[in-house]
Amino acid sequence: MSVALKSWRANEGPKHLIVTVWVAVNVCLFWRTFMLYFSGAQYYYLHKMLGLGLCISRASASVLNLNCSLVLLPMCRSLLTFIRGSQRVTGRCVRRLLDKSKTFHVACGVTICIFSVVHVSAHLVNMVSFSVRYSEDFPALNVAQYRGQDPRILIISTVPGVTGVLLVLVLFLMFTASSYCIRVSNYEIFWYTHNLFIVFYIILMVHVAGGALKYQSNVEAHPPGCTHSNLSSWTNHKAAGEKGAEFAGAPQTVCQEEARFQPHFPQTWLWVSAPLCLYCAERLYRFIRSSAAPVTVVSVVSHPCDVVELRMLKSGFKPRPGQYILLNCPSVSSFENHPFTLTTCPTVKNETFGIHLRVLGDWTSSFSQLLLQKPNSSEILPMMQQRRYPTVHVDGPFGSPSEEVFNYEVSLCVAGGIGVTPFACVLQALLDLQSFYWFADLLCGLHERLWRDNRPDYLNVQLYLSNTQRLQSIGEERYRFLSSRLRIGRPKWKLLFQEIGRANQLKRVGVFCCGPKGISKALHTLCNSNPHTGTAFEYNKESFS
Amino acid sequence: MGKIEWAMWANEQALAAGLIYATGGIVGVAGQFRGWQFAAFGIAAGVFVCLLEYPRSKRGKGTSVERTGQYCFTVCVKAFGPLTRNYYVRAFLHAALCVPGGFMLATVLGCVCLGIASLIYLSAAIHGEHWEPILPRTEPTKRVGDSIKEPPQNPPPRPPPELRRKKADKLETAAYDNPMSVTVNE
Repeated sequence: MSVALKSWRANEGPKHLIVTVWVAVNVCLFWRTFMLYFSGAQYYYLHKMLGLGLCISRASASVLNLNCSLVLLPMCRSLLTFIRGSQRVTGRCVRRLLDKSKTFHVACGVTICIFSVVHVSAHLVNMVSFSVRYSEDFPALNVAQYRGQDPRILIISTVPGVTGVLLVLVLFLMFTASSYCIRVSNYEIFWYTHNLFIVFYIILMVHVAGGALKYQSNVEAHPPGCTHSNLSSWTNHKAAGEKGAEFAGAPQTVCQEEARFQPHFPQTWLWVSAPLCLYCAERLYRFIRSSAAPVTVVSVVSHPCDVVELRMLKSGFKPRPGQYILLNCPSVSSFENHPFTLTTCPTVKNETFGIHLRVLGDWTSSFSQLLLQKPNSSEILPMMQQRRYPTVHVDGPFGSPSEEVFNYEVSLCVAGGIGVTPFACVLQALLDLQSFYWFADLLCGLHERLWRDNRPDYLNVQLYLSNTQRLQSIGEERYRFLSSRLRIGRPKWKLLFQEIGRANQLKRVGVFCCGPKGISKALHTLCNSNPHTGTAFEYNKESFS
Repeated sequence: MGKIEWAMWANEQALAAGLIYATGGIVGVAGQFRGWQFAAFGIAAGVFVCLLEYPRSKRGKGTSVERTGQYCFTVCVKAFGPLTRNYYVRAFLHAALCVPGGFMLATVLGCVCLGIASLIYLSAAIHGEHWEPILPRTEPTKRVGDSIKEPPQNPPPRPPPELRRKKADKLETAAYDNPMSVTVNE
C-alpha cells in the first residue's frame, strides 16, 4: 500500500520529530555524563576504584533525572487544556501533539524503568568494588568500612542504599499495576498504586542527598597521579608505573597537598522540583475547583439499553464542545473519578450541561441506582416532591481531540457504540434543541433544521448495524432520515475514503474516531495510505484508558 | 469499592519478579561472585516462575485478554489440576522460591519482588479467587438468519403466494414456474 505523503506528514511527522528529539537528548545526556566520569580529572581516583560501574551508573542517573522530570508534565491536564484552548497562540500542529500526551508519559515511564534496571545493576557492581577495592590511600572516598565488607551490609547501612531499595520496590508496584489489562479490569489498583508517585519522589530527593560518590575538589593543587612526598617508595613506584599518556607532561609532579574529596550537590533537586511543584499545584487547583462550586443535579433520564442521561448545573462552568469531565460521587466511592464526555454544553438559553453514561461496571451501576431510586413512598407529599440526588463533584473540563471538529473544512466522525458521546456535544453546538430522546432525535432534529436552512448537504450520516441479532426496525416516521440511511453489516472503509477523497480534492479532512481498537487501527492506516494524494486525511483519536 | 481481582495484579507482579530474579541470577553466575550457587538457583526459579505465570487466568466477569501464544502454557498449567488452580499453593510456592535469593547480592531484588507477589497471591486466595484456564470456545456454525426467507421461486412480476403454490395443478400459471429450484439448501 502506497503511503500518501501529505497525510503521513500531517499524521505521523510531528510525533516522530518529538520522539527523535527526545531520544537524541537522552543519548546526548548519557554520553556526556559517561565521558565526564570516564575521563574527568576530578573523578580520576574514584574511577580507578570503581571502574566502568561508576560511569554507567552516573550516566543512567542523569537520564533518569531528565525522564523523572519530563514524566510529570504530560499529566498536568488543566495546563494542557488551557494550551489547547488558546487557539490564537498555538497552532493546530501543537494541539494535535497534545493528544499524544499520555503516550509520551508512558514512554518516559518505560524509560525510567529500563534505566533504573541499568542504574541498579551498575550500583550493585559498585558496591562490590567499594568492598573489594577499599582504598587505604584515600580513606575519604570509601563507602565500606573495611576491605572485604559484605556488600549487602553496605546497601542496608547507607542512606542511598536503603532509599534505593525502597525506590525500586515502589517502582515495581507502580509498573506492574500499569499494564493495559489491569487498567481495563481493575482501574482502582492502577490509580492507587500510581498515586504512590509522591512517595517515590520524596524518597528520590532523600536518595540523592546521601553523598556516597565524591569528586576531588582540589584538582589544581593535587593533579591526579602526582607523587606524594610522604608516601612510601613502593606507592610512588606504583603511581609512577600507572601514569598514562595524559600526564606525559608532568611525570614527577609532586603533590602540593592531599587530595580532598567532596560530595556533589544533588542535581536531581534542580531537575525534579519544578515539574513536581507544577503538578502538585495542578492537583490542588483541580481539587479546589471541583469542591468550591457545588454541582446541582437537575434531571435524570433513563434511556433504553442501560444508558442514563444526567443533567447538571454548576456556576462558572464553561466547557467547549468535545471536552470531558471527571465525575466523583462520594456516596459511591470517595476516591474514584470517572471520565465522561459531555454530550450537552451550557448555552445562552439553557445553562445545564449533560452527560450520557452507560451502565457497565460496579461504579456506574451503583451510581445509576442512586440516581434512579424512587423516593420512599411514605415520604411523598403531593405538593413538594423533593428528589434526593447524591452529591456529585465535577472536575474539569478537560480537552480532547474532538474539540478540533470545527477547525477543519471537512470532518469525518466515526463512532462505535457509546463512542457517539463526543460527537453528540459537537452536533448539539450546531443545533440548539432540547433533545430528550437521545442521539436519534438529535440527528433527525439537526437534519430538519439544516433542511429548513437549505443546507441539507452539510451533514452526511451513515448508520451501520454490524450485530444483527437484535435487529429492531426504526419504524417511526420521524426517524425516516435515519432508517433510510441504515445499512446492515460493517462499513467498507476503503470505499468510503475513496469517495470522500474524490469529492474533496486538495482539502484537509479531519478524521475523528471514538470506538473500539479495531476500527481506530483500520482508520489510522487508511488515513496514511489513501490513494488520493491530493486530500490530506488527519487522524484524531479519543481514548480514556 | 467493588470487587477487585487481586490475582490479576499478582500475576503481573510474579511475571516481572521472575524476570528480575532470573536476570539477577545470570549476573551472579556470569560474574562468578561469592555464593553463585544461589544465583544459579535464582535463574532456575525465575524461569520456572515465568513459565507458571505466563498464562493469564480467566476473569470472574468481563472479557479476558490472553497473552500472545499462551495456549500451550495454559494446557501445561491446567494439567496440574488443583496444584495450579489454588492460589494458596502458589503463594507458598513463591514464598519458598524467593528465600534463597536473599543470600546473594545479585538476586536480592528478585527475592523481594517475588515475596511481594506471594503476599498479593495470598490476599487473592483469601478472597476466594482461583485460576481458570482461558480455552478457545467453539463457535456455533453460522446459519443463515431467520429473517431471510426462502428466495422467490418466480421472476418478477410475481403472483401472490396462493397462486404460486398451485403451480403443479394449473396450466395457465405454468409460465411462472421456475425450471430449477432456487432454494439454498438443495
